[in-house]
Amino acid sequence: MERIIAGFVSALRESGIRVSPGESLDAVQALGLCGMTGRKSSRQLLRLTLVKNVNDIPVFNEVFNQYFSRYKFFDPEMNVPELMDAAIVDMEGEFNYLNQRQDDDHDEQGPLLKLDSDINPEDLQELKSLTEIDPDDSDGNEIVVQMKGYRGKAKAPRPTRRYTQNPLTIELNKNNNAPMGITFTHEEQIAMQDVVSRMMMRLRKDMKRMKNNQNRGKLHVIKTIQKNYRHDMVPFQVALRRKRREKPRLVVLCDVSFSVSHASRFMLLLLHTLHNQMLDVRSFIFNREVAEITEMLANMPVNDLMETIDKGDIVDLDANSSFGQVFLAFKKRYLENLRGRPAFIILGDARNNYDEANDWVLDEIREKARYMLWLTPEERDTWKRGDCLMEVYGSYCDKVEVVKTVEDLSLVVEDLLRDIYADHAHPIDKKRLREAKAAEVYDSRDYYTRGSTGGGEAVFDPSGRSHW
Amino acid sequence: MITEQGVKDFLKTGGYIADDAIATAVFLALRMEKPILIEGPPGVGKTGLAKALSSALDFPLVRLQCYEGIDEGKALYDWEYGKQLLYTQLLRTQLDNYLSVSADLREAVERLSAEESLFFSRNFLVQRPILRSFLSEKRSLLLIDEIDRSDDEFEALLLECLSDFQVSIPELGVIEAKRKPLTILTSNGTRMISDALRRRCLYLYIGYPELEREVAIVRIKFPEICDTLARQMVEFLRKARELNLRKPPSVSETLDWAQVLSILKASQLTPEVVANTVGVIAKHQTDLQKVNDLAVQELS
Repeated sequence: MERIIAGFVSALRESGIRVSPGESLDAVQALGLCGMTGRKSSRQLLRLTLVKNVNDIPVFNEVFNQYFSRYKFFDPEMNVPELMDAAIVDMEGEFNYLNQRQDDDHDEQGPLLKLDSDINPEDLQELKSLTEIDPDDSDGNEIVVQMKGYRGKAKAPRPTRRYTQNPLTIELNKNNNAPMGITFTHEEQIAMQDVVSRMMMRLRKDMKRMKNNQNRGKLHVIKTIQKNYRHDMVPFQVALRRKRREKPRLVVLCDVSFSVSHASRFMLLLLHTLHNQMLDVRSFIFNREVAEITEMLANMPVNDLMETIDKGDIVDLDANSSFGQVFLAFKKRYLENLRGRPAFIILGDARNNYDEANDWVLDEIREKARYMLWLTPEERDTWKRGDCLMEVYGSYCDKVEVVKTVEDLSLVVEDLLRDIYADHAHPIDKKRLREAKAAEVYDSRDYYTRGSTGGGEAVFDPSGRSHW
Repeated sequence: MITEQGVKDFLKTGGYIADDAIATAVFLALRMEKPILIEGPPGVGKTGLAKALSSALDFPLVRLQCYEGIDEGKALYDWEYGKQLLYTQLLRTQLDNYLSVSADLREAVERLSAEESLFFSRNFLVQRPILRSFLSEKRSLLLIDEIDRSDDEFEALLLECLSDFQVSIPELGVIEAKRKPLTILTSNGTRMISDALRRRCLYLYIGYPELEREVAIVRIKFPEICDTLARQMVEFLRKARELNLRKPPSVSETLDWAQVLSILKASQLTPEVVANTVGVIAKHQTDLQKVNDLAVQELS
């Protein structure tokens, strides 16, 4: 059993779930205590001991289904040919299941893996290869050999998503006039999380120190007396009054119209990763209408959210984007209940489709905001062309930045967060920060690109659709 | 020897309907003596599970509510400085006598320091929740509520307590738990809990319950609500949860609503009944309207 668990744990690790040796020991112990009474209860035991994060549960289910379809809980009296039949039925069953959506949490003996309903020729090729027998495995009697043939290959086909870079599939997508939605691949999400977590780590160090100093104030007499009770009221330790601790608030307005969809996607992904960090973020998306997605960002997997947005369920994507109307709607519905002088980030190309500008609303937002930042994916040269109102809107903002890659974006956001914190930092810290900034000789952009190969854009632009 | 089914049954006597995952987690926690970390949306019965367990198992409940800035003085132990001062004052004459025999200052200091441990003994130790549960004669249930509200430092402080069930006090040494308490940590996920802490716990996610379980929960808490009404309520609330509300109604709202309906002696749900009692299930102005609309659409 230890061997099986060890194998399963390594399969989990391959899929990106971090499992410590201690946890796998727990799993073995738990199985020993409860016994392997059935697939369902074993799954529960393993999940309780091995998975420590809600977001990992779907991955766990997938790996479990994949891994333990090999070790079936079968009747020991069942003879080998019947087993063989069952295996073949399983394999064939898979083809029948292709067009059904399977819930991962089902505990029946389902298909070995889930495939997207639209099959492309490559996948079919992969599937056909399932029946071939690996020459290396050709010892033992015929049945065993055939079984091995099935087993080894069973893992091979992957969801079609992985082939998006294949020119053929891109072509196919175009012909189908498929919705433009792309979801993030696993690698992209990991890369993004990496960028954000590094950024957070650097920020956190500074913030902690600042927070401690931020609390300095006048002498808190009662607390000082309480604290020095132990020293017979000789004030060895001094308690100072705490200042109100401020959590940086952030309001993000993100354009999701087609023209900037790529930038907005990264913004959303960044927001998704930023959520639950030390920030109080409220996120809105808009095209012609505006909607709040804070809750959804916190509770939904990012790819599901993207799909929902792409389907136009939250804001209508077919309409022409209108910044003027959006600002007006935002003012009416949300501006009143924004608290605590948030920092504003607006992401969009400011292409108003010749609608009314309503730039006076920005003035009102400006009053409520501590800081206003406009991010645009377009170069400065193009700001005056066509219906672009960047110059008009930009004049209300503290800063307008051009962002092209995820790294740009996270750098800009990091700077912003630093500024917000520094805003109400203790004077000593402000000085220290200035010094630190001056001492920083190398371009901090190096920090990101030094180790990685190639430009960020190529990595994050799998279908080559956007030109921003 | 308790079994998983046994766990379910005794939880039921404590008024808590558990599903398989919960029962297995509790069973394992009891047998493996490991803490359980429970996450889930607010109001699905995370704290309720601890309370039910404590009453069903007859373990005294020791509750530690976490908040920003909680430290070891509030969670583990503290020295009772007042009492120490008072004792030195009261014992002054005894001390004088005791020290007067010594020839010089050096000897007096030596004599005094030989007795130093007297003043840092358990007599002067204030037990805070965690230490209290460790030192309790009876096996207790330690509930560390809303761990996500505490700081990182506090989380690190818990690591020793949760993995070895011991507390290190510099003046006294390591104090080990007499009976390892059944430990339950709850979190609403407002902050990521560190992996180090997660690793020391069994992880249980409690989501919204299935239809049957929720009906059973309503029935066990409010037996006067008939089965059809309970079912109608639960089905309605399940639809409401899908409405994308700012605060989706949770199990605690279901129970509140059941109580309200039983006080009002409602026999079935109508849009009017919902409209009159909507404040129990929806907690935001925008949500009220959505729930009312749903009632009109579903129930008329």
